[in-house]
Amino acid sequence: MMDTSPGSREVDVAATINGMQVTHRVPARLLLSDFIRDVVGLTGTHVGCEHGYCGACTVIVDGDAIRSCSTLAVQADGSTIRTVEDLATDGDLTPMQQAFHENHAMQCGFCTAGFLMTLESVDPDDYREPEQVVDLLSGNLCRCTGYQNIVNAVCSVWEVERS
Amino acid sequence: MKPAPFDYYRPATVEDALAALGTSETAKVLAGGQSLIPAMNFRLSQPDLLVDIGGVEGFDRLDVGPSGVMIGASVTQSRVMASDEVAEAVPGLRQALHHVAHLQIRNRGTVCGSIAHADPAAELPALAIACGATLFLQGPAGERTVDAGDFFLGPFWTDLGEGEIITGVHFPSEPADTVTLMDELAWRSGDFAITGVAAAVATRDGCVSGARLVSFGVSGVPSRMAAAEQAVLGFAPGDDSSALYGAAYEDGGDAVDDIHATAEYRREALGALAVRSVRAALASNGNGTGV
Repeated sequence: MMDTSPGSREVDVAATINGMQVTHRVPARLLLSDFIRDVVGLTGTHVGCEHGYCGACTVIVDGDAIRSCSTLAVQADGSTIRTVEDLATDGDLTPMQQAFHENHAMQCGFCTAGFLMTLESVDPDDYREPEQVVDLLSGNLCRCTGYQNIVNAVCSVWEVERS
Repeated sequence: MKPAPFDYYRPATVEDALAALGTSETAKVLAGGQSLIPAMNFRLSQPDLLVDIGGVEGFDRLDVGPSGVMIGASVTQSRVMASDEVAEAVPGLRQALHHVAHLQIRNRGTVCGSIAHADPAAELPALAIACGATLFLQGPAGERTVDAGDFFLGPFWTDLGEGEIITGVHFPSEPADTVTLMDELAWRSGDFAITGVAAAVATRDGCVSGARLVSFGVSGVPSRMAAAEQAVLGFAPGDDSSALYGAAYEDGGDAVDDIHATAEYRREALGALAVRSVRAALASNGNGTGV
């Protein structure tokens, strides 16, 4: 039996972010969202509600879309992380980013990175009906309430027929 | 909003996890963290030690056998949902998990973590009761099992003792004559339920021969609906549902009033959801015409 805490206030986090290997010693309490923004300096990931409600901070960790505000940086130790900065290549937008642009699927743009990363993480073949697209997007809030154009953009890229 | 400072520890064995929990009265187990970390961001929870069980040997097991599904403490909700074997053994699990939060949260949130957290509006505790699931616990005094029906004592309050952790939960295979499903009312898809029902409905000759009906989001704890379970016996598709509705309404006698809904609204919703769940169960057994 241990007498004193076996834990530590500071932890080493080594991860691959957008293909770049990063290693930092950080406080154990550091959230993954703050690690990405403040430590690594990638500010495309936005922080909205900070309690897992709005989805603005969605990033992809080992292939899964997750809330980076409800995950500790240390929990992502050893993982591969993708953020919105990983989507476009040399300024060339992905088809989904292009569709967001063409459909005016953003107003203030604060939520956009979270929507894009949720969409990037899934297999479009699993979302063949407009209702399935809407259900998928229910974990991301757009406070400008521009949902119709976001759904239009997704359906145009995934060739989902809207009734 | 950032968590207050804490020590972080990631043990590799359950023994080390238990020993670490014994060093602090405010230590918390971290599994997926989808309830705990938001609570820590708000500083509603300020543990001085987090014991991350994500790396504990054996906690990632997801075993499907003839008796049912064994879900280890670090298995995410998404992993359970994605398993066709699980869906075949306990179809209600996939259907219920679809109601649990959103994709991004299910990708990290664990089944056992939701049960340990015991939010009164959470789906998985109610489903565990409806399915007759068994919880496997381990603590300083050794290992024990508890029926899900005896585990939930109040809001965020369970039978878990000091320094004890859930190592896994076993959902028995759904009997051939039974349909398990969940239905709920929430303001937004994936939000906490204002009122919900988890139902395991057995049928014989097209009529209900037995049922476990569990309310959640209604009072401070998921509860068996004793009156509705009696009233539903013999219920057939097409039967008048007013007696079942009335019984379920009675079962909601301890419904809470809050910003989301009045107690009266919850009781009426509970009646409607009970009827809808039973009708849906009969329909999916091939004995009815649907809701």
